[in-house]
Amino acid sequence: MALKEQEKRPVAAKGEHIIARHLIEDDYIKEEKNLVIDGVDVSGRWNTFIFSRVNPKFDRSFFSEIKKTVVGSRINRCWQCGMCTASCTVTPLHRRFNPRAFIYMMQLGNMKELKKYVDVAWRCVGCYKCSQRCPKQVNPAEMMEALALVMKKYFPEEVESKLKVDEDVKKIYEDMILGNGRLDLAKLHISSMRKMGRTKELVDRIEGGAVLKMVKDGRAFSLLQLGKPHGWKKSRQAIEGYLKKVDTIEKN
Amino acid sequence: MAENILVVGGGPAGLHSAVTLADIGANVSLVERDSFLGGNPKKFKYKFLFPDMQPADDVIGELIKRAEKNDGVKIYYSSNVSNFKENEKKFDVTIKSPDASETKTFDSVIVATGFEHFDPARDAKYSYQLFDDVIDIKDLERMMGENNFVRPSNGQPPKNVAFILCVGSRDRHVGNQYCSRVCCTVSVKQAIELRERFPDCDAYIFYMDIRTYGFFEDLYWKAMEEHDVQIVKGRIAEITSGPNNTVICKGEDTLLRGPFEIPFDMVVLASGMEGGPQSSEMVDKLGLELNEHGFLKPQNVTLAPFKSNRKGIFLAGACTGPKAISDSIVEGGAAAMDAYIYAVKNK
Repeated sequence: MALKEQEKRPVAAKGEHIIARHLIEDDYIKEEKNLVIDGVDVSGRWNTFIFSRVNPKFDRSFFSEIKKTVVGSRINRCWQCGMCTASCTVTPLHRRFNPRAFIYMMQLGNMKELKKYVDVAWRCVGCYKCSQRCPKQVNPAEMMEALALVMKKYFPEEVESKLKVDEDVKKIYEDMILGNGRLDLAKLHISSMRKMGRTKELVDRIEGGAVLKMVKDGRAFSLLQLGKPHGWKKSRQAIEGYLKKVDTIEKN
Repeated sequence: MAENILVVGGGPAGLHSAVTLADIGANVSLVERDSFLGGNPKKFKYKFLFPDMQPADDVIGELIKRAEKNDGVKIYYSSNVSNFKENEKKFDVTIKSPDASETKTFDSVIVATGFEHFDPARDAKYSYQLFDDVIDIKDLERMMGENNFVRPSNGQPPKNVAFILCVGSRDRHVGNQYCSRVCCTVSVKQAIELRERFPDCDAYIFYMDIRTYGFFEDLYWKAMEEHDVQIVKGRIAEITSGPNNTVICKGEDTLLRGPFEIPFDMVVLASGMEGGPQSSEMVDKLGLELNEHGFLKPQNVTLAPFKSNRKGIFLAGACTGPKAISDSIVEGGAAAMDAYIYAVKNK
C-alpha cells in the first residue's frame, strides 16, 4: 500500500526534502534534477546544495552615496522603530513593501536583499503619512524616492524587466504637472476608477455622498479654482528641460 | 564634641559624602583600599564623562581636591577595615593601614565601596584577551585618556570598529541578569569620540536595546545624526579571528533575519558592572546583606535606599547597584544626611 503511494509521487520540487524548507529561499538552493558524475547518477536530492546565507560584510560606501542625495540625506537618523511601515498605506496591499526594512538595507548596503524587492520598491504613493509619523524626522517617504533611484542605478535590467510603466497613467500625470503645475487628485481618482472599470462607484452612496458634501460646503469649487504655482512659467521650463534630458539619456 | 563618622571607599560617592559631612562639622575618617583617591574613574583613567563630555579630571579631580584640602577629613590610604564591632549604637572599628593599625569609635558609618568592571574574559564567546584587537570599554577609555588610540595588534588606526553592548549584563549564562545602566551611554559616547578622531573609521553598535535613559538619549541621537554611527540589532554570539588580521563578529541581524559574519579591525566590549569581592567583604565584616545580584541590599529600595539592614550603617553609590557617576555623587550627599542624623540622635 505504502509502496504504491510512493510510486505515485510526482517529481520532487526543488529542495523538497529539506526540513524547514520554508526558511530557505529558492535562490539559495542549488539542485540538478538530472546529474551524472563519473557515471554515478546523483540526480535529485543527492546533489542538493544550500548556499551560505551569511552576510559577509557591511558596505558603508552605499550609505554615503545615499546620504549625499537630497531625498536620502537623513538616512543616518533611522533607528528602525517601524513607525513608517506601521503607518504605510501601501503595506496592507503589498506585504513585501516595508519602508523600515528598505532603509535598513540601504544603511548596511545589503544589495543582495534589496535586489529582491525591485518589483515592490516603487509602490510608494507619496502620501507622506510615514514622514509625518516618523519620530526621528527621517522622512521615509522621500527615502523611498532615494530607494527608487538606487534601484534604477544598480539593477537596471531587473527594473526594465519587472516594471512596466503604464503609459496612460504616465500621460495623465505628465499632462497635469505640465499643464497646471499640480496634481489634480479628483481627476486622478476619476481616471484611475475609470481604468479599473469602477466608474459606477463614483456616484454611489459613499463617493457620491462625499462629492455632494463637498459641493455643499464649497470645497469642490475651491478645487476648481486652484491656480498655478508661483513663477510657474520658469518651473515649467525647468521640468520640460529635465524631462528632455532624461529622455535623451534613456534613449542613449 | 563633633560626631565621628566613618566612610568606607574613596570613589565619587565616598568622597562627596566625606566632604559634605566635614562641611557640616563632623570628624570624618575616609578609608580607601588603593594608594590614591577617586575610585574606578581614577583607576581606569576615564577621560571624558557623559553626558556633556566634561573632562573626568574636572569632576573626580575636584572631588579629590576638596577631600584632601578639608581638615575635617582624615584619609587612610591603602587601608581597610580589619575589625568592626557594634557597641551601644556606636561602632568600634579598627582601620588597618600599611604601617599602623588604629581603633576608633564612630557614631555612624557610610559604606561606599563601589563596583568592579565585569571581566569579559569570564565570558569565553567574546575572545577577550585571546585577540589583541578585542578590548573593552575601560581599556578604550584608558587608551583615549592616554591619547594612544590605535589597534593594539599593529599600532595602526582602525578602519571599522564594532561596539558590543550587554557584555556581562542581561545574560543568565554569566550570572548577571540585570542591566548595568551606563554601558550604552558610555559606548555611544566612545563611538562619537572615535568618529571625531578618525572620520574615516566606521563605527557599528550591536545592540539588543539601547538604554540611554533620560537626557543621555541626546548622546545617542547625536551619535547617529551627527556622526553616522550605525546601530545593528543583534547580539554577538562568537568572536573569531579573520583574514588580514581582523576579528570576525558572528551574529544575527534580527531585523532582517539571517546571520552575518563581519570582519572588524577592532571590537569594543561594553562590559557591565558587578558588586565585586568588596561587597561580600562588607557583608562578612559589617554584617550587611547582599541582594540577588551581588550588590549590597538597602533596607527598602524605595523608602530607605541609603539605609542598610543594620542601624547606623548607610550605603551610597554603586555598591547598591549599577550607577552613573552623577548618581553616585548625589547618593553620597543623601547618605551623608542620613548618617549625620543618626549620629546626632544617638549622642
